[in-house]
Amino acid sequence: MAQMAIERVSKRFKTNTVLDDVSLSAETGEIVVVFGPSGSGKTVLLRLIAGVEDLDAGSISLQGKDVTNAAPEARGLGMAFQNFALFPHMSAFDNIASALTAGASSKSQILSKVEAVARLLKIGHVLQHAPRELSNGQKQRTALARALVSDPRILLLDDPLRNVDAKLRYEMRMELPSLLKTSGSTVLYVTQDYKEAMALGDRIAVLLDGKFAQVATPAQVYREPASLDVARLFGDPTVNVIPTTPTLENGLPVFDIGGASIALPSSYAHVAGRACVVGVRPESIAVSEAFASGAFPVEVVAVTPLNEKSVLLLRAGDGRELLASEAGEGELTRRRGPACASFDRDAMLVFDAASGLRIAPQSH
Amino acid sequence: MAEITLALENVDKIYQRRGKAPVRAVKALNMAIEAGEIVALLGSSGCGKTSTLRMIAGFEEVSAGKITLAGRRIEQLAPAKRNVAMAFEGYSLYPPLTVRNNIAFALKSSAMPSAQIHSAVQDVAALLEIEPILDRYPSSISGGQQQRASLARALVRSADLYLLDEPMGQLEPQLRAVLRGRLKNLLLERRMTSIFVTHDQTEANALADRIAVMEDGVLQQFAGPRELKDRPANLFVATFVGEPPMNVFDADAINADRVRFMVADGPALDFAASDIPTGVRSAIGSRSRVVVGVRPHSVRLGAGAQDARVISNQWLGDQTHIALEVAGKLLVAVSHAPVAAKSGERLRYSIAPDALHVFDASSGAALSHGLEAA
Amino acid sequence: MEHSSPLEKVLRGLAIALIMIFFLFPIFWIFLMSFQTNEDILRIPPSLFFSPTLSNYQALITGKLETVSGTLDIAFMRNLWNSVLLSTVSVGLALILGVPAAYAFARYKFPLSEDIAFTLLSFRFAPPLLVLLPLSLYYQQIGLTDTYVGLIWVYQLIALPLILWIVRGYFEDISPDIESAYRISGHSWWRTFTRIAVPLAGPGIAAAGLLAFIFCWNNFVFALILASADKQPVTVGSLAFVTAAGIQYGQIAAAIVLSITPTLAIALWAQRYLVEGLSLGAVKG
Repeated sequence: MAQMAIERVSKRFKTNTVLDDVSLSAETGEIVVVFGPSGSGKTVLLRLIAGVEDLDAGSISLQGKDVTNAAPEARGLGMAFQNFALFPHMSAFDNIASALTAGASSKSQILSKVEAVARLLKIGHVLQHAPRELSNGQKQRTALARALVSDPRILLLDDPLRNVDAKLRYEMRMELPSLLKTSGSTVLYVTQDYKEAMALGDRIAVLLDGKFAQVATPAQVYREPASLDVARLFGDPTVNVIPTTPTLENGLPVFDIGGASIALPSSYAHVAGRACVVGVRPESIAVSEAFASGAFPVEVVAVTPLNEKSVLLLRAGDGRELLASEAGEGELTRRRGPACASFDRDAMLVFDAASGLRIAPQSH
Repeated sequence: MAEITLALENVDKIYQRRGKAPVRAVKALNMAIEAGEIVALLGSSGCGKTSTLRMIAGFEEVSAGKITLAGRRIEQLAPAKRNVAMAFEGYSLYPPLTVRNNIAFALKSSAMPSAQIHSAVQDVAALLEIEPILDRYPSSISGGQQQRASLARALVRSADLYLLDEPMGQLEPQLRAVLRGRLKNLLLERRMTSIFVTHDQTEANALADRIAVMEDGVLQQFAGPRELKDRPANLFVATFVGEPPMNVFDADAINADRVRFMVADGPALDFAASDIPTGVRSAIGSRSRVVVGVRPHSVRLGAGAQDARVISNQWLGDQTHIALEVAGKLLVAVSHAPVAAKSGERLRYSIAPDALHVFDASSGAALSHGLEAA
Repeated sequence: MEHSSPLEKVLRGLAIALIMIFFLFPIFWIFLMSFQTNEDILRIPPSLFFSPTLSNYQALITGKLETVSGTLDIAFMRNLWNSVLLSTVSVGLALILGVPAAYAFARYKFPLSEDIAFTLLSFRFAPPLLVLLPLSLYYQQIGLTDTYVGLIWVYQLIALPLILWIVRGYFEDISPDIESAYRISGHSWWRTFTRIAVPLAGPGIAAAGLLAFIFCWNNFVFALILASADKQPVTVGSLAFVTAAGIQYGQIAAAIVLSITPTLAIALWAQRYLVEGLSLGAVKG
């Protein structure tokens, strides 16, 4: 029995359909990440599940019970908001305790539970402060503590790391998985950052244009994206996109870049003659000064370091721009100027030009 | 010696506040920027980087010190007289003008013929991918587009110096890598001396020839990205620059026939005296407490004298980030190949002498970087 | 770029002093007058020096005025009590009705909500004289003339729009996420309203209440037409000082001082509360 299931949920604001007939389920203890660009409806989805917004169609069940018409306070959830939403007129302690005061716990039980979760999140020393006296990082942890303290079966986290500075965001990203797994709750985590999505999610639900374009494990979303739009959202720098119509040469499908012929694996023979888009991730492009077989000439226009990688902006013979990335200290030896590039054949992705959907390779 | 275009000498900025103590936002800043160089002012909010930029532009008075640009003293001049182009953080586009006219604004008051103005605007718009919105008004375009328009307006001018305040903060992530590459190429090709302000060290590293790291009004280090990464001058620079940040731990040091760093509540890094060069050993001296640091990319996983519990294993497509529990904190390691270790398992790791940075425990100043003294 | 020269500072100080003298002098003079006898007041040229007397206040409090034509009964203390009663109860009722209504306008966008809100505000635009004649006729028919209930009801026209508009703004300033968070934590709508929304809008409610109190207290026309003698507040009651024996300036001054003291005191006390405010540091910023 799924801990959380939404079935055929739709939500409209005036003429804008934010969620269009979407369904999703999450098992006990699973972390499901709802990922998508800003404005895609992720926060709306969370608010519908929390009950603070009404849906136009569909149903929501939590722990097997239909809660579509239940008030938020009856749903037994924990939620952490993007902008923290702490109560300004209460101390951090009271903020966290508010999740318990509606229930039947005694004062001493509340005290010990709040102190335990504060210790876990390392905010025990600021519990008596008012929210305005806390740093952003402490506010975020207080909001998380409030969501966790009642040990909810289902936890909703709305981009909790968004408004926190880079160093702290990184630290929390490393700590969150074990924290969430220890709590045992089923988690729905919303984010716009693909690294967070891949780092935290058991499964990622990619929300685009009001629908789930793909719901799969991080490995599947990265290596077998359902569509070009999904492929574009994962990876930094973004995947290179080459519109082309491959032809068959000696039984192998090939396409053209700046006059050079690049071969796809034979399992893609069926795309010959179809208008396609070939996707090549920057880490799958090898750039070298010396010519290698299967390589084509490029000009290295710019070299920009990116956190222990180098990103090379390449210009192919036909003026097309490509981004390649390589690990390590390439920038020392990299010079702007002529070079050769080759693609990792097995890592290339092929998408249908009209629909954007990925074309899977066929084994013979 | 390269030609110096912009020089700041002992520049101070003091903000007087009524009823409260004055704030020294910039303290005795000395900087010299070469012609055609791209410099980043990097730091967290309140470090003085924006005040510095505004003093160079002329929107803030200099409390003390001199600023020289292209041979002229400019700190007393009005902004319009300094021949400086600036792109503001708040975009500051003129609302009643179209994007095209905004960009062309400064050019129109010069003697350039209108056909030339038109093509210059077209070129810079193509570079920043805002050609489709050239004839729209600022109120009808997105924040990212406004930012690019503001940038175009500064870049299209011909000036001695280009000042960019957080030029790419609002851009859609998908566009950033390409635009960074193009911007860098433009600045380098046209030898445009430029300074940009940012709090994002990734951006600073990507674009700048040299980075001025500032904290609390004081210039911490002014060097190229490589230098900042490999040889940070102090603990602040070491932990600020680099993502993921450098792992740092307090440790007791023994500098005798063996060189040992005993991390408080953590592992002991033990090296034979012969593995540590004498220069490094004398830099560490007789200190009993130090701070040791190692960059995530330099931690060797899978084998070694140490082992620790895996807190998190995060595969991000093109790299893997592993968090190990060390000394009550996290030791983060980055690998470009997938690592087969589950959360909760123990994993062996090692830190080689050439990956170790040592800092003074009280001042934070760097003592050694790998096999070289600081 | 922000240096004010010493000359600017002196001129600024001078301007402020002049404005303050202009506005505060009448009040200062009235205060002095309340301790003077009628002879002192009417003396020409007027003088700042006199021997103060409490006879004016005495007359008001005892309710007996000695004049050349005999002893008059002054109902001033009764008027003061009426003012207190009417203003307090009217504002109290307006708060009970207005605060939840303001919340509804702030949080729920129902059809015509903007139009209804604007209509309610428009009651403040219309001069009371517009509705007085028909109102007095209705009141006579339903027997509400010269009743506290009638007056309190009419005073809602003054107090409610103010409270609605000011408090609605304060409710709108509270991030809805804060209330959502409290409800998700397990609390009912009512508890969220009383424990979260109302306390956070507190400064606004206080400000609106104070303003409404002052306007109710100062109202003249409604009370003049719709009330008589023993229900009249101080505004109308001061007419009684225009007697057959002449205008009793001393008593008027004393009456004015007593009339403005409550509102002035409340304004001073509430000002501290309003300035203190709650900074919404609980939302990222």
